[in-house]
Amino acid sequence: MTLGRVLRNGTLTVLAVLWLVPTWLLVVNALVPAGSYSGSPHWLPRDFGLFDNMSQAWDRARLGPAFGNSLLYAVVSALAAVAVATLAAFATIVMPVKRQVLWFWVIYSGTLLPLQVFIRPLFLSYAETSLYDTQIGLVLIYTAIAVPFAFFVMRNYALTLPREVVEAARMDGASWWRVFWNIHVPLSRSAMIAVFVFQFVAVWNDLMFGITLTTSRNIRPVMAALADLQGNYSNVGPPIVLAGALLVSLPTLVLFFSAQRFFISSLKMHH
Amino acid sequence: MSTPTTDRRAPAVGAGPSAPTDGARRPPATHAWRGRRERLTAGAFMAPSVVLVALFLLAPFVWTVHRSFFSDTRTTPFSWFDNYALFASDPALSRSVQNTLMWVVGTVVLPFVLGLAIACMTDAGRFSRLARLCVVLPYALSGSAVAVVWNFMLTADGAVNQVLTGLNLDSLAHGWLLTWPGNTVVMILANAWQATGVAVILFLVGLQSIPPETLEAGALDGAGSWQRFRHIVLPQLRPVSIIVIGMSLVNGLKSFDLIWVLTQGGPGRATETLAVSMYNETFLELRPGAGAAIAVVLTVIVLAASWLYLRRQLDVKGV
Repeated sequence: MTLGRVLRNGTLTVLAVLWLVPTWLLVVNALVPAGSYSGSPHWLPRDFGLFDNMSQAWDRARLGPAFGNSLLYAVVSALAAVAVATLAAFATIVMPVKRQVLWFWVIYSGTLLPLQVFIRPLFLSYAETSLYDTQIGLVLIYTAIAVPFAFFVMRNYALTLPREVVEAARMDGASWWRVFWNIHVPLSRSAMIAVFVFQFVAVWNDLMFGITLTTSRNIRPVMAALADLQGNYSNVGPPIVLAGALLVSLPTLVLFFSAQRFFISSLKMHH
Repeated sequence: MSTPTTDRRAPAVGAGPSAPTDGARRPPATHAWRGRRERLTAGAFMAPSVVLVALFLLAPFVWTVHRSFFSDTRTTPFSWFDNYALFASDPALSRSVQNTLMWVVGTVVLPFVLGLAIACMTDAGRFSRLARLCVVLPYALSGSAVAVVWNFMLTADGAVNQVLTGLNLDSLAHGWLLTWPGNTVVMILANAWQATGVAVILFLVGLQSIPPETLEAGALDGAGSWQRFRHIVLPQLRPVSIIVIGMSLVNGLKSFDLIWVLTQGGPGRATETLAVSMYNETFLELRPGAGAAIAVVLTVIVLAASWLYLRRQLDVKGV
């Protein structure tokens, strides 16, 4: 082993251990039974109280309903955004549309703006139209916020698809809808899955719309519930809060590692 | 076959001298009608996206810009740039600007340097893959979950103070989130803990796209490993680097969840960045005009930062 190699592996080990410590403490202390937590962090697992802590977070801190809500918001919004964005991408790339650049910017511009710039007008008009604190209200804003980026990825993907198939189908008299459904969608499937995964995670992880546009416990999404649980840190105790954080991260962790391929391909497509 | 354009076609059929027939082979006289029908179909395909974005994103944006020119007194008269002048006069806002600058530097430098180093140091070996996994893992957590983890690390009886006490460094142990600028620095570190993972992934993708022949050729010409890195690898990573910098920059400017869950911008508004200040001014201090002005300033900065990597991207894609 050369000196360079030793140095490299040493640095790498230090970095990996540094990175692992918070993750390790999260898991170990979420395992400690809430009753026997001594007041200072545990470094080694002893008793196994994880499921008990999780169920306490689920019931007492009301993560349960929030979990179901977020599942609904993330699945429905991500699906809707993928569908709507694929249609628009098909129109701007495959169909003969005038002012393509204009339409691109109209749809894409939404992803460049920070969320802060939308939040108060949305809050006011939601209150006005009784969309405030409703599931449909959250699904709508999550879909809208997901569309620009989904459109961007689907559009870039559509640029790479061969035009000949579409032209042949059109010559044979197929309608645009038929071309879209029978040719474009099957060809775009992998990009659509990547966008779905990406947007599912984005909606699942959102906090700001959750705390601004909802108030009741059976409407709010999961990150708003977690923030609430964290606010009760000293009452509930660290093991239950950490178990709660672990619980709400499970869906994205599972998605991330089972769909890593799609994650990376969507990152590649983004750029 | 039902198309979304069926009902939209009806008026055109009624008004026209020759109703467009189905199919692509139509007489030349109906050419204009065909073009119009195609445009309507394309419009129907784009309409859901355009309506959603215009209604939920662009209209609120215009509303906020408009609101930023009206003061927060009861009658809300037009007040030109008074809300923007708050940046000069309000000490909480100046602190917020300072913090935002610290965040921008921290979120650009740390993930970039660490991500590049880790991506270059790891190879295909098993140990390397394990080390990489440790770094990438936090990327799968949400900002709120990261805040919960780091609160556990940083509170008075948290893990960091426990370690310091264990090493007989009691004097260093303190409430990490209580004093400025230390609290902003530790939150930037917490953010880097999460954000480095994505930089590693992007740099790995970039490294894989470098053809191995160029490296071999460099080695044959007698270039050392540092020279190969400096003159072959680094130039080829330029496009990925711009993306990593641009993305970290924008994410740093937008970061809200971590700060909100850890400190809510406190104590005494000391850890606010512009993204958090906007929320506090609008919903807690009930000064929507000031909040709108902050949102607009943040937007301008984010757009300028996005331009950094968008310009390149749009050149390539040729929009």
